[in-house]
Amino acid sequence: MAVVEINNVYKSYHDTEVEVKAINGVTLSFDKGDFSVVVGPSGSGKTTLLNLIGGLDQPTGGEILVAGHRLSELRPSELIDFRMEHVGFVFQSYNLIPVLTAAENIGFIMNLQKWPKEKRKVRTDELLSSVGLTDRHNSRPSQLSGGQQQRIAVARALATHPEFILADEPTANLDSKSAESLLDIMEKLNREEQMTFIFSTHDVRVMKRARRVITLEDGKVILDETRS
Amino acid sequence: MIIEIAWKNVWRNKTRSMIVITAVTIGVFAGVFSIAAMNSSIVQRIDAAVNEELSHIQINNKDFRSSSDIQNVIADFPSLIAVMEATPGVINTTGRIVIKGIASTASKSTGVEITGIDVEKEKKMFTLSKKLIPGTGSFFGSETKFNTVFIGEKLAKDLNIIRYTLTQEAFSKLETEGIPSAVILKLGSLGDQKYPTDKKFSNAVENLLTSSEKNKFSLKIKEAAWSYREGSKIILSFLDMNNNQTGAAFRVSGIYRTNNDMFESLSVFVPVNELRELTGMKEGTYHRVIARLDNNDLTDVVTRGLRESLPGLEVLSWKEIQPDLAMLADMMQQIYGIFMAIILAALAFGIVNTMLMAVLERTREIGMLAAIGMNRRKIFSMIMLESIFLSIVGGIMGMLVSGIVIAATAKNGINLVKYSEGMEAFGYTAHLFPTIDVQFFITTTILIVLTGILSSIYPARKALKLNPVDAIRGE
Repeated sequence: MAVVEINNVYKSYHDTEVEVKAINGVTLSFDKGDFSVVVGPSGSGKTTLLNLIGGLDQPTGGEILVAGHRLSELRPSELIDFRMEHVGFVFQSYNLIPVLTAAENIGFIMNLQKWPKEKRKVRTDELLSSVGLTDRHNSRPSQLSGGQQQRIAVARALATHPEFILADEPTANLDSKSAESLLDIMEKLNREEQMTFIFSTHDVRVMKRARRVITLEDGKVILDETRS
Repeated sequence: MIIEIAWKNVWRNKTRSMIVITAVTIGVFAGVFSIAAMNSSIVQRIDAAVNEELSHIQINNKDFRSSSDIQNVIADFPSLIAVMEATPGVINTTGRIVIKGIASTASKSTGVEITGIDVEKEKKMFTLSKKLIPGTGSFFGSETKFNTVFIGEKLAKDLNIIRYTLTQEAFSKLETEGIPSAVILKLGSLGDQKYPTDKKFSNAVENLLTSSEKNKFSLKIKEAAWSYREGSKIILSFLDMNNNQTGAAFRVSGIYRTNNDMFESLSVFVPVNELRELTGMKEGTYHRVIARLDNNDLTDVVTRGLRESLPGLEVLSWKEIQPDLAMLADMMQQIYGIFMAIILAALAFGIVNTMLMAVLERTREIGMLAAIGMNRRKIFSMIMLESIFLSIVGGIMGMLVSGIVIAATAKNGINLVKYSEGMEAFGYTAHLFPTIDVQFFITTTILIVLTGILSSIYPARKALKLNPVDAIRGE
């Protein structure tokens, strides 16, 4: 079953007087439980594609359907709610809230969704355990290593059971050990919870683990390879 | 949750927040305390005007104030008193005879307003009797066969009733008041010399002291040397009911000291019966009736009511008798407003600046919050709450410091002794007892919170304009 459907999508920017086509007629779909990566050289449109899927940006042509929502039909305030309810984001530079503890960061979106306190606590403990950071419950981001922060970011993204996780270069700032450990966790979540992951990356380690590799060049899909 | 995050964000950059909070605290304190000090000057002046000089309301014969003619008496005094006593808010009334005259001694003479008073009633109604300078007699207390008069210190000086002598007793007083022995030694040559005027004594003292000694000690030296010629008499001359020149010698019963040189030099008080006898005014006739009210706030209402009940008489409130004072009180309210507006504007700019810096520093974070689903209302509220917290913490600290300093200084006052001569010439005390009402504290606190809210709007709007995609990229 397709979680994301992208039909002939275009995204252009106007750089002074020149029109730059960041995404140029892309058609793709992602199914529940996919573990896919979007690769390509810098400027190929990877991040733009992820932003369009996540409802952070609007296409200039074509349409994107996510969990039955036609994104172009949603108003800005509805897009915010859509992101909160259906998409989990993992950013390259972790982007945790520095004044909150690890547990509070994980509970943040649950809080936005007004989950009851007890339910929040149970889910937070469960996620801390999944990412192997139960002992860092009360640590502030500044007290965690980069790898630990990114694991908390993954736990935050997973907290409210989104349809899929968009991870933009999640290992770019991590050393190999932390990167491998993070990918182990993501793979495990994908395998055990059928969580859909869509990555954009340059990292060979991520590419090696992906079951589907989509290669973009000049905003076009030039290769869509599925591995067994 | 938003409240908690906003509060934590305030303390994210402790140094910066503390600088803003300290600036707000100092600003609020400076504003509130200056206003309290200015306010005290006005409050004390009004207090003196009402309690020592004018009372709340005065009622005269319609023509009395314009002509000052002794004949212009109140026609039906008992009925007037009955009306006033039945008026709600009026707690006390008394009649006065008021005539213009000349006060003279062997060396000087000056124009005065002679007020004939019911001594016992006035003692209850006014605080003037408490303004008696110790050692100068009493408020018509001692039995004497002479007519008696209660006069101001300024008039006593003008009429040369006061003299200055550095007696042995005066030197001892200076010692106990902590005047350095070197200074006392210098003054030794003035011992037991009598100076008939303030000016002559001051010149003699100033010739012996350095300018810093003069600034520090001249007032205390003058106070110690000040003495009153006991049993002094002055001649009061005025017209009687037949417009004939009359007058008599009056023994000075006591000398009062207020903060109003003009009042002291012009107003002399005499028991009403003595004046009645000398002027030939009939028993029960008065030029003026004065009324004390339960509360100064009732002045306007009661004045309006009495004016309607007593159409044949001139009913005046203290505000109408001294419009300059009433205008000053009103004007001061506006000055306080302008003063606070300037302080709050400075506070607002400080907060806008700090919050703009905070928003710009957290561009990526705010973008991330918008990306993961924090709606615009919540982002706006978060920034707004941070500004409000900053202003509330600073505001409360400012109010607290102001409250403590006002309470501390209200006890002993602030003595602006250097400016006493100038201030007292206009009726203002140089010894300020800062005072401010609770209402002002409440209003200021509300204004500080409102300033916090208003100054948060621009940075909060700036945060809302951030595009999550650009913000996360860190552009």
